[in-house]
Amino acid sequence: MSSLLKLDTEGYKALMKRYIETRDEQSLYEIEQASKLFIKNSILPDEIVNMHIQSLKDLYPNLSEDIQYSMNFLLEAMIAYGIAHQEYQQLREKQSELKSEISVAASMQETLLETKKPTIDGLDIGVISVPAHQMNGDYHHFVKGRDGSLGIAIADVIGKGIPAALCMSMIKYAMDSYPEDAMTPKAILANMNRVVERNVDPSMFITMFYAQYLPSDHTLRYASAGHEPGFYYNSSQDTFEELTTKGLVLGVTPDTTYPQYELKIESNDMVILLTDGVTECRDGERFIERQEVLDVIKRYAHLPVQKIVDQTFKYFERLQDFELRDDFTLLILRREV
Amino acid sequence: MKPQSCVNIKKEWDIVAARQLGRDIARKIGFGTVDQARIATTISELSRNIYLYADHGQICFEVIDTFDNKGLCIIAIDVGPGIEDIGQVLEDGYSTSGGLGAGLPGVKRLMDEFDIHSEVGKGTRIKTIKWLR
Amino acid sequence: MNLTINVVDEQPSKSIVYLAGEIDAYTAPDLKEALIPLMRQEDQVVAVDLAEVNYMDSTGLGTFVSALKSSKEYNSKLTLVNIQDRVLRLFQITGLDEIMDIRASIRGGSE
Repeated sequence: MSSLLKLDTEGYKALMKRYIETRDEQSLYEIEQASKLFIKNSILPDEIVNMHIQSLKDLYPNLSEDIQYSMNFLLEAMIAYGIAHQEYQQLREKQSELKSEISVAASMQETLLETKKPTIDGLDIGVISVPAHQMNGDYHHFVKGRDGSLGIAIADVIGKGIPAALCMSMIKYAMDSYPEDAMTPKAILANMNRVVERNVDPSMFITMFYAQYLPSDHTLRYASAGHEPGFYYNSSQDTFEELTTKGLVLGVTPDTTYPQYELKIESNDMVILLTDGVTECRDGERFIERQEVLDVIKRYAHLPVQKIVDQTFKYFERLQDFELRDDFTLLILRREV
Repeated sequence: MKPQSCVNIKKEWDIVAARQLGRDIARKIGFGTVDQARIATTISELSRNIYLYADHGQICFEVIDTFDNKGLCIIAIDVGPGIEDIGQVLEDGYSTSGGLGAGLPGVKRLMDEFDIHSEVGKGTRIKTIKWLR
Repeated sequence: MNLTINVVDEQPSKSIVYLAGEIDAYTAPDLKEALIPLMRQEDQVVAVDLAEVNYMDSTGLGTFVSALKSSKEYNSKLTLVNIQDRVLRLFQITGLDEIMDIRASIRGGSE
């Protein structure tokens, strides 16, 4: 280390000498670049002060002792900065380690929670789900029943990040253990409520919207466990209606029951399901209104449904300066014929 | 190995005395200004730990002068509560005082060798060495 | 954003918790720390005044749900008062308004 320091001291001294003689900007630029190199090579502030002291002594052998003492004083003052800098470096390394671990976990989760968008004649389906951080606390899945029906679950764990994501994996396994296509939405929610109530921390809960679409008679059956209300787009009247529901979030009381609702879907009608990451977007300090989401969807309504959800996401992503505050899931169904 | 010189740590003022003695010894061994400052900081950290968390203790210095090595060994001994989780106090970003102290990780970085023994309810012994290069 | 929490003990067994600011993932732990010990006092009546809370996310709801659960365990009572529309909507959507004592306006008893 001392030989490296020696070498650097010579360079530092030459540069300082040149600057003192010419006071040119070039020298200042060079020391700026050197300063970056110091940081890169973990040269600590006290070592730089030491180089300065050595250079001063060499250039001005008759330098007053008082000045020399004052420089030693400065060196002492720099010691703690040096330690702090080293600590910062180490924490940065640790952080990048953690980051890569989380990204492995995130890709595992992605595989685990993967759901295939089914193809159903006469129904156009679009869905987008983007986590605010690396791991997603939103969940959705599709199940195609033997009778041709389509089951759709969309859920949101309170909180975000890793705890929410872990909780979601549990939900997925619980869902997988039911014969979903043989159950009604209200029964599925009642079952899920018991699972969550038994297995999840009291301050944690999950909202879920469960819908079944029956293509044979173009009906949507649905129930909600405290989930952000979705919308129904009535094509013939060109209006949006909120899918108003009652039903407590999952996991608060053990014996909650859920009312079930039914809706007739006509040609070109849309059903819009979402999580609060969509409706609670923020534009600076301002919260967007739910109406704003509908306006944006309407703007893209002429496109295929997957394009609508993609474009809507892009719109709100941009509005929030590409920094999501919450996980964002938007799912749209449109009856084609 | 030369005999030890020790400073008792009981009051905050004793920290300064320990620094002074340590710096004088370091200078005599031939350490430069930077290393003297780092050694003094190490002494501060070790003696502050004694002052803050133990009732009393000692900072001792030993000059190491063998055929191929020269250096300063600092030993901090206290009769205090001891450290329950040594791994934790050696971790960056952990500091019981919550302050900006460099703590033991800082000491580890400032010095070349570091060793710690601690028993809960009995006390702690830290030994650290800086080699002259 | 911050959340200021001000606990006023009206009577020995009645506390009002005045909140101002935003309740989110960052501030909810502080709220929990203030609220849960109150709920764990037998027969304590706790009113949380949300007049100055303009934003709450689901983490905040979680905090009130755990407060509600401990109120059942310790036989204490939790009431939310002066709740703003935006925040109230969150309780309505999640169905929590049906199992919690929530009052949109009117302050109980304090002068």
